[in-house]
Amino acid sequence: MMAWYTANAVVVQATMTTLLLALSIQLPLRVGVFSFAGVGCFGIGGYTAAILYTKFDVDTWPAVALGTLLAGGLCYLLGLIIHKLSGLYLGMATIAFSLIVAVAATNGGSLTGGASGIFGALGGITNLHVLLLLALVVAGLAISEYGRFGRMIDTVREDPELAAALGINVGRYRKLTFLASGLIGGLAGAVTTLLRSTITPAEVNFHMVVVALTVIIIGGSSSWLGALIGAIVITWLPTVLSFVADWESIIYGFLVALAAIFLPGGVLGLAKDLIHRWRARRRPTPPAPPASEAEKIPGGEPSSPATERSLASTQGGTS
Amino acid sequence: MSRSQNDSADPRMIFEADDVAVHFGGVKAVDGLTFGLPEGKIIGILGPNGSGKSTLVGAITRHVPLTRGTLKFLGKDYAGDEPHLVPHRGIARTFQTVRLLEERNVLENVLLGTDSLTAGGRAARRLGQERAEQAMARTGCDHLAKVRPDELSYGNRRRVEIARAIAMEPKLLLLDEPTAGMGRAEKEEISTLMLSLRAEGLTQLIVEHDVQMMVDTCDSLLAMNFGKLIVEGEPREVVRNPAVQEAYLGKQAVKHA
Amino acid sequence: MQELLNTLTLGSIYLLFALGMALAWSTIGILNFAHGAIFVFSAFSAHIISEHVALSMPVLILISVLVGAAMSALTQWLAFEQILKRSTNHRSAEMRVLIGGIGVAAIPIAIVDKATASAPFGFANSTYKTEVYESMGLRMTNTSLIVIITGVGIAVALTLWLRASRRGLGLRAIGVDSETASLMGVNRTAMALGTMAIAGGLAGLAGALQVFQLQAMGVATGDQLLIKAFAMIVLGGLGSMAGVIFGAFALAGAETLIFAAKLGTWVDAVSFGLIFLVLLVRPQGIFGRQEVRRT
Repeated sequence: MMAWYTANAVVVQATMTTLLLALSIQLPLRVGVFSFAGVGCFGIGGYTAAILYTKFDVDTWPAVALGTLLAGGLCYLLGLIIHKLSGLYLGMATIAFSLIVAVAATNGGSLTGGASGIFGALGGITNLHVLLLLALVVAGLAISEYGRFGRMIDTVREDPELAAALGINVGRYRKLTFLASGLIGGLAGAVTTLLRSTITPAEVNFHMVVVALTVIIIGGSSSWLGALIGAIVITWLPTVLSFVADWESIIYGFLVALAAIFLPGGVLGLAKDLIHRWRARRRPTPPAPPASEAEKIPGGEPSSPATERSLASTQGGTS
Repeated sequence: MSRSQNDSADPRMIFEADDVAVHFGGVKAVDGLTFGLPEGKIIGILGPNGSGKSTLVGAITRHVPLTRGTLKFLGKDYAGDEPHLVPHRGIARTFQTVRLLEERNVLENVLLGTDSLTAGGRAARRLGQERAEQAMARTGCDHLAKVRPDELSYGNRRRVEIARAIAMEPKLLLLDEPTAGMGRAEKEEISTLMLSLRAEGLTQLIVEHDVQMMVDTCDSLLAMNFGKLIVEGEPREVVRNPAVQEAYLGKQAVKHA
Repeated sequence: MQELLNTLTLGSIYLLFALGMALAWSTIGILNFAHGAIFVFSAFSAHIISEHVALSMPVLILISVLVGAAMSALTQWLAFEQILKRSTNHRSAEMRVLIGGIGVAAIPIAIVDKATASAPFGFANSTYKTEVYESMGLRMTNTSLIVIITGVGIAVALTLWLRASRRGLGLRAIGVDSETASLMGVNRTAMALGTMAIAGGLAGLAGALQVFQLQAMGVATGDQLLIKAFAMIVLGGLGSMAGVIFGAFALAGAETLIFAAKLGTWVDAVSFGLIFLVLLVRPQGIFGRQEVRRT
């Protein structure tokens, strides 16, 4: 066990930092906020921590904390401004936000090191520290997936108007999501930077959005567990199969496209579905309702919702 | 229970709309409605498609911005409320097309009615669970607790939605075409359920196309056309009114009236 | 004056690229995130063929247009159509189309990146020769002239065609309301494929012209252009072709000024900032109809 860990410490570390980044994008998706601001927050957190650590002699943990808080604060402000935008528009605005962070870093002069970034920011962070922080974040997210909180978040995502009609303050959920996503993204950036000792503007780009999406889409966007599955797959696959390392981007592209088409719930969604079906088959038919109500038995009539619920039926035209 | 037409002697109005209008650009979906809902009664809204019924429901729940007018619930003007505050005042609704969380089972869908209206904590959770179970028993979907909505028949999906609204324990329940797509027997069950809720004092506003059901269930009817109120009063009289027949029923006679 | 000329050239390439994207987005509701990758890959295909045979400009452009059209139609057929078929509501469909597009885009980009070892590519072997005209202190190449004429010509033609033809009418009907369109006898599936092919062809055209104009193209160009095109469409207002034309030249003008002021590293911030500004101040864009873009 110990020998395995020593041999794989770097990959374990990469899995954990990738997971943190992915979680900062997954949380908003789960609330139905199509935000990629987590990537920009990764940059803000990473740069802040690196600058404080290398230029102002701030210790590792205060630097991480300040980077995290600054990213969270800025992301919350962003949310205040744009939380009312819908779908794609919000997505593009947050991509623009993330790319502006990169442009600002490129033009930051000696403070941010320009296009070559910051070097030598090797803080005193161990894998155990990362694991503890990750456990903290995951615990918080797990609470938000459980019980009434989880149900309300699902409703805010699936049907905001219904959520409001049930008394849920949709706007507040959306704004707080920006805060939480910014904190997680900032933490991911600060920790990753002080672990690797370097950050460059080129890292905070579209590629990072793709990596985070790959993790979430493969694993499943409904739970932190999905992100964990995804993070493990994409960090370990290249080490196990060497041809994967060569063709990494192409394979990820295929996986993301395939998952978007066939597995919107990811691996986790598939597993949940199978478990539900298996249970449904084991469950005896629902206790027989009184005779007069016989017509209400599920499946007693061809279910019209199924036809209603495919977009293709309204968009399929007269073909 | 007699259906008295004696407005002045009626109990207090739980809800009052005064000169409510909703215009979308040039379209006057709702145009100057003034009416009240007496406490503990079932009031039906009748009108052809596009006459503004669903827009009115949206206005009452504050999903649709008002062009002018005031809305009062329990004597308080709430027209400035954001939509999510309305359920906290005691107004619950169902939707014209059933809206459920497809990934959650029936019990959880009904629990959603209690989630944001009860505080956290163990006692509240138990209370919510009880309310949800009662609501499911009343609407006859208690045996479906663990089933997912996508495995349900259309009528049962409707029941789950009504159960969710009842679990909110509202003072005013808005039902937007609750029996659409149901058979006669199922419609009668919904009708019976509404009458038993009225017996407990729940005020209900129902939008429905089935005239017969409306006449059988409602205490009074409001007939709308082109966003305006054309007639209101005792159901049989409203249905017999020539203006209503003209607008809603065309030349067809109403056999049951 | 020289700035104005540069603006016109740059704007014309932006315009061709953004027109395709706007066409697909405003009519069939597909925001194709692979549009930038198609732009790069079609130009790259022409580059590969020109390595082996010396070809003239029209042939290279034709190759690029055809590759672009084929890729775009294929993406629509294999990915987006499948997603729409399997989606239960509009919002999740929109999200899955975007994510699917990002996934699809990664594939051609990775291929080009690997084949070129991340170095820019061009049409060095083409028979086309650049000529420079100078008059009254203005510098102008024959390439710029071709780019401007093609860009403006196609934009005007497309706008008029959309306005006039029955096909255009059907397309716009889908853009407004897919149900009405199907009542009008418009076959959405075929129409969508055709629209995406035109959009991809425009991306291919823009790609080839960009290589002729700048002599080379880098693999990262596509993603940047995608965000810029989004900024142009949002600025002009979705659904308005005149808006796209305005957006393209406005952005090109702003960027040219930034370059002239020697602030080249800030140039991308213009489009990113513009997206924010427009979405906040006038979400329907300058030429857009009043449209609900907020939840």
